[in-house]
Amino acid sequence: MHENMRASLNAYLDGELHGTRLREIKLHLASCESCRNELKELRIVSGLLQAVPAPQFMPAERFASNLTLSLPRRTQRDLPPKPGSLAWWLVPAGLLAAWFFVRTVFTLTGVVTTVQMTGLIGQAANWLGGGQEAAWFAAVTSLFGGQAGGAAPTLSLLNALDVYGANLLDGFLWQALIVLLYWGWLFAWWFCRRPRPMNTENAKLI
Amino acid sequence: MAQPQTADIETALIEQAQHGDRNAFGELVCRYYPAMVQVVYRLCGDTGLAEDMAQEAFLRAWINLPSFRPQSSLRNWLYRIAVNATLDVLRRRKEETLEDEAAQMVPDQAAGPETTLIEKEQVALLQQAMRSLPEAARSVLVLREYGGLSYQEIASVLDVPVGTVMSRLNYARNRLRELLKPQLLQLENEYA
Repeated sequence: MHENMRASLNAYLDGELHGTRLREIKLHLASCESCRNELKELRIVSGLLQAVPAPQFMPAERFASNLTLSLPRRTQRDLPPKPGSLAWWLVPAGLLAAWFFVRTVFTLTGVVTTVQMTGLIGQAANWLGGGQEAAWFAAVTSLFGGQAGGAAPTLSLLNALDVYGANLLDGFLWQALIVLLYWGWLFAWWFCRRPRPMNTENAKLI
Repeated sequence: MAQPQTADIETALIEQAQHGDRNAFGELVCRYYPAMVQVVYRLCGDTGLAEDMAQEAFLRAWINLPSFRPQSSLRNWLYRIAVNATLDVLRRRKEETLEDEAAQMVPDQAAGPETTLIEKEQVALLQQAMRSLPEAARSVLVLREYGGLSYQEIASVLDVPVGTVMSRLNYARNRLRELLKPQLLQLENEYA
């Protein structure tokens, strides 16, 4: 107990003890003369060290101006990347544009298919390919709540699972991939900007 | 209008210096040089070497500053560079001039003309006692007594666990207590 307390005297002197440990050592000091004397001597040692006069050094301004004159040139390679640089914002902007493009293609195809089914535009939309391609677009958009022919195209296409399944999977994969890439970018951004303790990252620089 | 916080100003200076602004770096040097040169001086006990090591530390800092994370403490980073650079030089000197060790123990005469003879003796004794400490213990003691760093900060600067900081500090102060026993007795009697 006594040795345990002695080991904490310096921490007590430096104000590094808190809570229970602080109360314990205060109680111990009240009853232990040997530790009180040791603490007193430690305090005197610390006071002596503080009292040692320091020599006069070159004034900080003069030192700084001499130093800045002798600083080596920095190459462009040494410069840190700007956090707000264009490249950083091109990544999410590109991903959003890709997502917007995919959604637009789905929506427009759904609209065109619906209009074609109603016969309002005659054969003008035949260039879309018709057949399987137009049908799976209608099926997918109807699944997502679109108006491309209601539930009927979906039900009819359940018989052609090879086309439907493959294209549906493609549609989901596209969106999932974009979401994953966006999360990945967010994680990379957080990873680069997060605060780190000096001894893990900056220590490597020295 | 509210004044910008000191930390914000420092962060701005660091970012400017990272992008090659020498004046901003000069501002940072002005802020940290006085404390840094004191710590280095207490480590090596040589005024000229302390200024050289401070210069070396700031040069290294300038070179590595682009990769420095502004979220970390610049002061602790600078201390780390300075302490490492100084200890490297002291180790080299020790290897080169082992036979000249007695000469190294001569107290630095730059302690100020106003210092009286008795004070000079005390200063010499203290400096001798400090130099007799192992480098690891001396570094911890100097960072605590003259750098004013917390145990956690010292641990970060020296890249050791806090427990090691505590044990090294215990060793250093207890060793000084033993070496300075006569002076302590005298001082205790004066204050009794």
